[in-house]
Amino acid sequence: MTVFKTFWKVVKKYKGTVLLYTIILLVFGIINMQTKESNINFVGTKPDILIINEDKEGKLSKNLENYLRKNCNCIELKQEEIDDALFYRKINYMIHIKKNYSKEIMENKNPEIDVKSTRDYNASLAELMLKRYVKVQNVYKTKIKNEEDLIQQINKNLKENTTVQISSKIDNKQVENASYYFSFASYSIMAVVIFVICLVLSSFKEKNVNKRTLTSSMNYKKYNRYLLIASLLYALVVWIIYMILGIIILKDIMLTPRGGIYALNSFCFTFTSLTLALLISNLVKDKNAVNGIVNIIALGSSFLCGAFVPQEFLPDNVLKIAHMLPTYFYISSNELLKKIEVINLKELQSIFQNCLIMFLFAIFFIIVNNRISKYKRKVG
Amino acid sequence: MKNIVEVKELTKEYKGIKAVDNLSLEVKEGEILGLLGPNGSGKTTTINCILSLLNYQKGSIKIFDKEMNPDSYDVKREIGVIFQEVAVFEELTVYDNIDYFCGLYIKEKETRKKYIEEALKLVEIEKYKKFYPKELSGGLLRRLNIACGIAHKPKLIFLDEPTVAVDPQSRNNILEGIEKLRKEGATIIYTTHYMEEVEILCDRIIILDKGKILAQGTSDDLKVLANIDEKITVETEEIEEKIIDKIKSNKNIDEVILNKGTLIVTYKKGQNNLGELIDCLKENKVKYTKIYSEKPTLNDVFLNLTGKELRDNV
Repeated sequence: MTVFKTFWKVVKKYKGTVLLYTIILLVFGIINMQTKESNINFVGTKPDILIINEDKEGKLSKNLENYLRKNCNCIELKQEEIDDALFYRKINYMIHIKKNYSKEIMENKNPEIDVKSTRDYNASLAELMLKRYVKVQNVYKTKIKNEEDLIQQINKNLKENTTVQISSKIDNKQVENASYYFSFASYSIMAVVIFVICLVLSSFKEKNVNKRTLTSSMNYKKYNRYLLIASLLYALVVWIIYMILGIIILKDIMLTPRGGIYALNSFCFTFTSLTLALLISNLVKDKNAVNGIVNIIALGSSFLCGAFVPQEFLPDNVLKIAHMLPTYFYISSNELLKKIEVINLKELQSIFQNCLIMFLFAIFFIIVNNRISKYKRKVG
Repeated sequence: MKNIVEVKELTKEYKGIKAVDNLSLEVKEGEILGLLGPNGSGKTTTINCILSLLNYQKGSIKIFDKEMNPDSYDVKREIGVIFQEVAVFEELTVYDNIDYFCGLYIKEKETRKKYIEEALKLVEIEKYKKFYPKELSGGLLRRLNIACGIAHKPKLIFLDEPTVAVDPQSRNNILEGIEKLRKEGATIIYTTHYMEEVEILCDRIIILDKGKILAQGTSDDLKVLANIDEKITVETEEIEEKIIDKIKSNKNIDEVILNKGTLIVTYKKGQNNLGELIDCLKENKVKYTKIYSEKPTLNDVFLNLTGKELRDNV
């Protein structure tokens, strides 16, 4: 227990470093959240349209015009202004009802309505309304021969509403924030784990301290086991701290199955970072070199793998290099979680694959570490 | 008295070069054995082999009548080691450092607490127990290093050059501490290249050079090997060759050397050598500023055995 307790006493000396990287994560996380707007709210919009009705006497055309005026913003323009208005998006849609439109409908003909469109979503909305009206009119025109009755039936039908239920309740802003938090956390987790583990273990493995340990009555294998367990526990504590912070900042996401996947992904990444830290601590004994190595590995992999800039904006060459680092697969899972609408096994397959790849990296680091230790024992 | 350490025909080679060459030694219970030799003479290598920190090509090592190997944890329980380099945690206080190293041997918290207080007292660093190593002077650091090595009250203590680069006050303190440990019954193996220290401390001395034992015995036993009885040094301005010849005519004289105004006269035997030399200088009207007599030192022994001085290599 002496080794275990002393490990934590030494860790306590580096609490400032843990705090620093945590503050960096929180500051960047909060700034990012403040700059994003929520897009969970739906706002009713009306397209801007122009109606040219040449069938002045027709009651059916008048009814169509009233329906469109009720549901769209009708703009009045001169004939020569129409094309410019469409080009400059003053209107989204132009509807031209020709003369004798009503009469031809009552004669069970199919009179044409000319339209011009900006082909944007507002124009589509206007077209949707026009099509709806025409479809309802076509259904009843063969059966109802009285114009007044036909109009009454059309209006009655169009008044009917359907209740819409939004099945997906994902708050995109929250999901984006969560992905940003966890992707940025790759830098903090890796730095905090590698920096502290390397410094603490370099104190224990310092040449003269190690000599003194070797001459003591402490079983050296047991001693190494204590250090390994203490390192594992430290990595777990770091992970728990970042999860608690995640819950505080993003509780709406973190307390859902999606949050669980974020937690699982970050757990795999923390474990891989720990195995990398153990490997580095076996290679580097100089405490002064640790700081530089942490910056190269944690900061470098964060830049290359998209912790600060989303992966979609990174050049292909950079992403090819990033594939050689575990951070890439961790951030890739965070990016996928941002896009997945419904959490189910099929959607999560890629994320589980990424977790598996991270574990393979961890196994690789453990094997290399063991080989180096064996070589050192042989040489020593 | 029984043997605590028995080393037989120990040979350690580094890439074909013998660092320890067929070395055999014994250390008796309660004894302070001094390993004296210049840097590179094989003192530390011998200690490291005895402690199973190094593999060796030939020989056998027994401590407390048991074969010593890296897994001899019951033997190691009774051993304390103070290395030449300070081995402490920079991140821990003086107290926590001693607590950690003592904790590698002793599990009970209360016993450990008592032992730590005693170790702090022994090396007189009680008032620094809340200090961090970087806040201590070189001498205090060495004392902390010793406290870390002896806090668990070992029966056998290895001290590998514990006074290197230490101020005189700390050196005296360390030597007093070692005396106290001997009084408490510890057996000590003390390596150094400071002959004054081994003369003060050690019951028996082994002189090492190039991995071999040149001589061993008590300080007085060894001084016989110097082949001289007295050395008189005269600091003068100028002295004629005929006067030097006159001095040399004394049959007790072994050698007369004149070097840059310093005349060194060594005697094989004789009872009033200093008085006779002063009379001779007066007769010949030789002016001198200082004259003093010395008994032979271990350096003279080393000089006689190897043709070089211990201090040359320091």
